Amino acid sequence: MKTILLVEDDTNQLLLYKQELSLEGYSIITAQDGQEAVKKVKEHTPDLIVMDINMPKINGIEALGKILSEHKKVPIIINTAYSSYKDNFMSWSADAYIIKSSDLKELKDKIKELIGKIK
Amino acid sequence: MFKKVLVMILAGGQGERLYPLTKDRAKPAVPFGGIYRIIDFPLSNCINSGLRKICVLTQYKSYSLDRHLRIEWNIFNNELDEFIENIPPQKRISDMWYQGTADAVYQNIYVLERERPEKVLILAGDHIYKMDYRELIEFHETNNADLTVPCIEVPIKEASRFGVMSIDNEQQVIEFNEKPASPKPIQSNPEMALVSMGIYLFNTQVLVKRVIEDTKRDTIHDFGKNIIPSMINKDRVFAFIFRDKNNKAVKYWRDIGTIDAYWETNMDLVQVDPIFNLYDENWPIRTYHEQFPPAKTVFSELFPGGRCGTVLDSLVSNGCIISGARVERSILSSNVRIDNYSEVFDSILMAGVRIGKNVKIRKAIIDKSVIVPDGKHIGYNLEADAKQFIISEKGVVVAHKEMPLL
Repeated sequence: MKTILLVEDDTNQLLLYKQELSLEGYSIITAQDGQEAVKKVKEHTPDLIVMDINMPKINGIEALGKILSEHKKVPIIINTAYSSYKDNFMSWSADAYIIKSSDLKELKDKIKELIGKIK
Repeated sequence: MFKKVLVMILAGGQGERLYPLTKDRAKPAVPFGGIYRIIDFPLSNCINSGLRKICVLTQYKSYSLDRHLRIEWNIFNNELDEFIENIPPQKRISDMWYQGTADAVYQNIYVLERERPEKVLILAGDHIYKMDYRELIEFHETNNADLTVPCIEVPIKEASRFGVMSIDNEQQVIEFNEKPASPKPIQSNPEMALVSMGIYLFNTQVLVKRVIEDTKRDTIHDFGKNIIPSMINKDRVFAFIFRDKNNKAVKYWRDIGTIDAYWETNMDLVQVDPIFNLYDENWPIRTYHEQFPPAKTVFSELFPGGRCGTVLDSLVSNGCIISGARVERSILSSNVRIDNYSEVFDSILMAGVRIGKNVKIRKAIIDKSVIVPDGKHIGYNLEADAKQFIISEKGVVVAHKEMPLL
């Protein structure tokens, strides 16, 4: 079973994503800020990361760089309510950039696509 | 258009092949031509080309370089949006040192994010040349290029040290191989190859995309080895041939990679009609001078056995005193003293060197503040010298900084 690290500071959203993605057959681990995310990646080496950007301690953009420096091949999906980070050069190092929506289809499809590429 | 160009000078290499000149300093901080440091050349090119946003990416042994930049190059006005920043690894993205030239840029994506330049000019901190980067930028824009690589033609037998490229009639690069075992000659002349000067002008967005892609691959994160070859078939990569506009001759460019290259490039300065001219008023080379009185020669005892201070075909910096000694085809940095009956030929003496009486020095590099005792011979018996000094492939003897010889 593939493991996904969900990084999201909003507890309600985190629970929603966790539930929905578990139903898709993924094992889910969670973190609620960038710093915890970096730590969880080290501990669990997930197959894919879904990352919010606006978070306490270190934000998703900075966490992205730190994670990639050690796990350069893990696919990362930015999942944010804001489109403005798209211009940020560092956000370009994510494999996908998804604007949050109540319909999780786009996110699920992207996960499927990226996880499918993993050997 | 030049305001939108950010310069990044790569000054982080270890410079192992230039040891022991790099024993205590980064390669770009190695003294050159009497009063300069190597990095003064690319920096002067920037100033003379109107480029005034400069980041120097440092890493190893950066103190001497940092100090030089702080003292000499503190000429930029922040209020006019000009700057020179010395940037060691921030460990912001990665906990590692710079893993390669492309990684040095990747680790500084935050700088690009903050500055948002249209183009990034990537320079090496260890090249001696004079280039008007405005011509390069104009060429880049005219061709609507994503990347432009300045290049020169070199004899094919020397080409395997460089990135060798093939171009089409429009000067678009169709092939690029870094340090190939058997370099491909240019079409019009099988004896010559077109090689990269290790300078890159990128459109910023393309640069960012390519270094990010590269960081996710198992490569050595090198522009020449990884980034440029990966761009050939998907981006517009052009070659800017570094030639004199008037007579089409190949212009002067030297990579100070080895002790021999360092010595030879210095010696290019002392020729009667030097192939690299420091006296060009249209292209001044800036540096930092400590204050010293004028250079002086003393004793004019022209009778046999007399003391005669003689300097021929040489560069002599301020503060030097040649006292009853003979100097030929040599470069003397500031504050060098040479005492009676000594001879210095084909050599580079750095600042503060003291040469005693009856010393003979030939084809040597004497680094800063070395005191050479009376009667010492250097460069006349390489076997004996090898026990004490480092000797280059072509037989240049090197005494490292502050080396005790007494």
